[in-house]
Amino acid sequence: MARSPITVSGPRSVVHGWEVSTRRSAAALRLSDASPLAKVSVRADADGALADALGVRFRGSRREDGVLVIGSGPGEWLLVGRVGMAPEIAEKVRGQGEGEFATIVDLTHGRALMRLSGRDAARTLAKVCAVDLSDDLTPDGAAFRTSVAKVATDVVRDDAGGGAGESSYLLHCERSSGQYLFDCLLDAGMEFGVEPAGPHLNQDEPAR
Amino acid sequence: MIVIPCPHCSVRNASEFRHVGEAGSRPDPATVTPEQWRAYLYERSNPAGWTTETWFHTVGCRRYITVERHTVTNEIRAARPAGRDGRGGREPAEVLSTRADSGSPDAGGQA
Ligand SMILES: [Zn+2]
Repeated sequence: MARSPITVSGPRSVVHGWEVSTRRSAAALRLSDASPLAKVSVRADADGALADALGVRFRGSRREDGVLVIGSGPGEWLLVGRVGMAPEIAEKVRGQGEGEFATIVDLTHGRALMRLSGRDAARTLAKVCAVDLSDDLTPDGAAFRTSVAKVATDVVRDDAGGGAGESSYLLHCERSSGQYLFDCLLDAGMEFGVEPAGPHLNQDEPAR
Repeated sequence: MIVIPCPHCSVRNASEFRHVGEAGSRPDPATVTPEQWRAYLYERSNPAGWTTETWFHTVGCRRYITVERHTVTNEIRAARPAGRDGRGGREPAEVLSTRADSGSPDAGGQA
């Protein structure tokens, strides 16, 4: 059975071979461990054919066929999809490059992924991250890599994965820093009443 | 505090970067004299004023950038991707080739 780097607490079940929390929270601010989602890294020419096919550049993101395509660096992408979907995603990207040199790696088990959702998500994140999170500079869909609680973290604002009218952020870091980052975000969110919650991993919600 | 306008990522605190040092071009190993090689390795002009230096954005785009900084005021008047334009110090591809985990065909060079 696959395990996330972040400890599962409370009720749990096994989804597609991963042990996940099934805790539900109605709190205004929730933090969930989304590490089981498929994560595929793509590196290629920043302005090549594959970049055009992926349809997004560094600092942007978009959804296509249930996959969140994130421009995580210059010439660097992270594709996030349903649990177990990594081989399918990698295969699709492989067919898009028109023979261009590219590196496609399944990082699912090497990284931690978590989602912070709620009205106070930006205020919580602002306590541990120096990037301006205002709508002008970090609108829905914005992606960037920066220091979050001193951990190099890919941040994506992905409001579609949160509740109605809420902002929501995906945070992606090295597996070994996952538990630490999760705990730091719980600590930062304490004053806003943050609660840990199980991830939504069903078919219709690729990156919730 | 120094704030660096990364050409890839936008404005970031200097704590996200590693200071590499004064930018300069590497002499051709085939023709260089020992004196020139020593100067390339060890001698720095270290001015009290404007200097052109290389920074590495460790916790961001993971690219080398060339920064023009005033060493007295820490004012920064220019920042651009390092490398292929011939003014950016070490060629990123040359540096990255020594790192097994960072081989990217487009390392640096893009505006
Ligand atoms: Zn940068």
